[in-house]
Amino acid sequence: MKCCSAIQKIVLMASDSKPQRLRQWASFQSSAAKKTRTMTTQSSLKDAFSSYADDLNHLNDKREKVVKASRDITANSKKVIFQVHRISKSNKEEVLEKAHKDLAAVVDQYVARLVKELRGSDFWKLRRAYSPGIQEYVEAATLCRFCKSGTLLNLEEMNASLSSLSDPSHKPLQINILDYILGLADLTGELMRLAIGRISDGELEYAQKICTFVREIHRELTLLVPRMDEPYDMKTKMETMLQSVMKIENACFGVHVRKSEYNPLLGSGDPSYPLMGVAGGIDL
Amino acid sequence: MKSAFRTGCSTISRSLNPNPPSLSALHGLRSAAVAPSPRSLRAPTFRAASSATRCCCSSSSSSSAMSGGEASALPLEKQFEDFRAQLEDSVVLRERIRAVVLEIESTARLMYSSLLLVYLSRPLPEVLDKSKAHIGTLKDNYSRLADILSECPDQYYRYHGDWRSETQTAVSLLAFTHYLETGNLLLHNEAGERLGLNNSQFGLDLEDYLVGVLFMSNELPRYVVNQVTAGDYDCPRKVLKFLTELNAAFRMLNLRNDFLRKKFDGLKYDLRRVEEVYYDVKIRGLASDEDSTGDQRSKEINDSEVVH
Repeated sequence: MKCCSAIQKIVLMASDSKPQRLRQWASFQSSAAKKTRTMTTQSSLKDAFSSYADDLNHLNDKREKVVKASRDITANSKKVIFQVHRISKSNKEEVLEKAHKDLAAVVDQYVARLVKELRGSDFWKLRRAYSPGIQEYVEAATLCRFCKSGTLLNLEEMNASLSSLSDPSHKPLQINILDYILGLADLTGELMRLAIGRISDGELEYAQKICTFVREIHRELTLLVPRMDEPYDMKTKMETMLQSVMKIENACFGVHVRKSEYNPLLGSGDPSYPLMGVAGGIDL
Repeated sequence: MKSAFRTGCSTISRSLNPNPPSLSALHGLRSAAVAPSPRSLRAPTFRAASSATRCCCSSSSSSSAMSGGEASALPLEKQFEDFRAQLEDSVVLRERIRAVVLEIESTARLMYSSLLLVYLSRPLPEVLDKSKAHIGTLKDNYSRLADILSECPDQYYRYHGDWRSETQTAVSLLAFTHYLETGNLLLHNEAGERLGLNNSQFGLDLEDYLVGVLFMSNELPRYVVNQVTAGDYDCPRKVLKFLTELNAAFRMLNLRNDFLRKKFDGLKYDLRRVEEVYYDVKIRGLASDEDSTGDQRSKEINDSEVVH
């Protein structure tokens, strides 16, 4: 039927006085159409797009679930971080113990759910959906580790602890370097808060230790910035990070410089924290 | 940035210099707190001397200084050294991807310029031949890209952004060529086939394909206008039918608030423009020869217009 009309058209056009090249064009167009029109345009297009719709729905649903799981990880990791900040000279043990318990709960409940949602999919494809949560988790986990042992929890250890979450038939979720590094960059902000808190609590030595640790991380990350996948994001993080490092350093400096003024107070307080009285006078 | 770095450095040295002696005076020699600081002090100058070398943390001197201190310091450095090596590899990989993507871009540009001949009233077979001559090159480019990415399995989507927009353009050119040739839409699997992107490891992303199709629809109003000017009064009707179908097809998709959605929202403007051209042609009786040849078909069009 359609072929018929196409042929008709050629006949008509041939009798017409239109320019030569247009006639060529038209005959080509219709001869090509002869071959393909028979495959029915409308229905194949509909079929194709309904399968695209299924694919997109599937992907979007998955992404949505992953985003939700990521948000839960963020919220609960934040709680762990707040718990760590409740630390003081006297309650260190119990505070950290609770923080560790909370962190374990984050892994068992929320990270496990993320792993379940991501199961069988391309981690890189959905990275943007879960990256914020993972970064926050890295921040919480490394903070806990630092407070406990003064060391840096490295990526291998973290990934080893996550590999048990997924069932062996699927590739386990592994935190990628980028998220780990971005999480570490955020960690320095928390450590800054911790250090300032410790100084006002008189734990100068602890603050000093944090200072060294943060400096070390800052130095190492400085070399990594241009090699990151998104160097621009990392650059802004590094600027914030430098601010944090300098805040700690200035606080330590303040205590150090003013300690001579408070020399008479030495010995009047707790002998193991000779500068306890000093910190209260520092404008932080 | 530079000044921030300098202030950073000067603060370190300002606050560090008085520290070690005073602290040791206060607390006795606390290796944990004090020992690493000379290292941090040395860092800026050291880095300035050899910033690019990968193994610039020759930890031999520092580790001897800290042997009594934190045991963590060494693994920490070790880990970051590994990171640097891994990230360096990805930088090299990206550069190689970038080189191929530039070629894809220039091939696509050549193909586009071939397609533009259609506006210069060249005969369609010639335009199509010229345009299709580039498809082979595109396919070669993509197979080289696939080779590069086969070195890092499962990281397709890590680097996907690097060739995304070029691929969308390539799809739009292929789809336009295909439309000129057949009057139909190039489907996802067909587009993948033409680019050699139809295996599971290295495929054509569905969203890229859809964006490419929408890029093509942006071209159609111009095509219709120029065809009519050149005397082809049947063209608006065909393109209108095609775009109406395409619009209906896209409306089956649930889109997110992203670029694809934005492009889809633009489809209706292309459609409207083509409708206007069709109206202009029809109202002046220029498309009349079509009406006399096929009443059946013009009825079809009217139906589709009503639906629309």
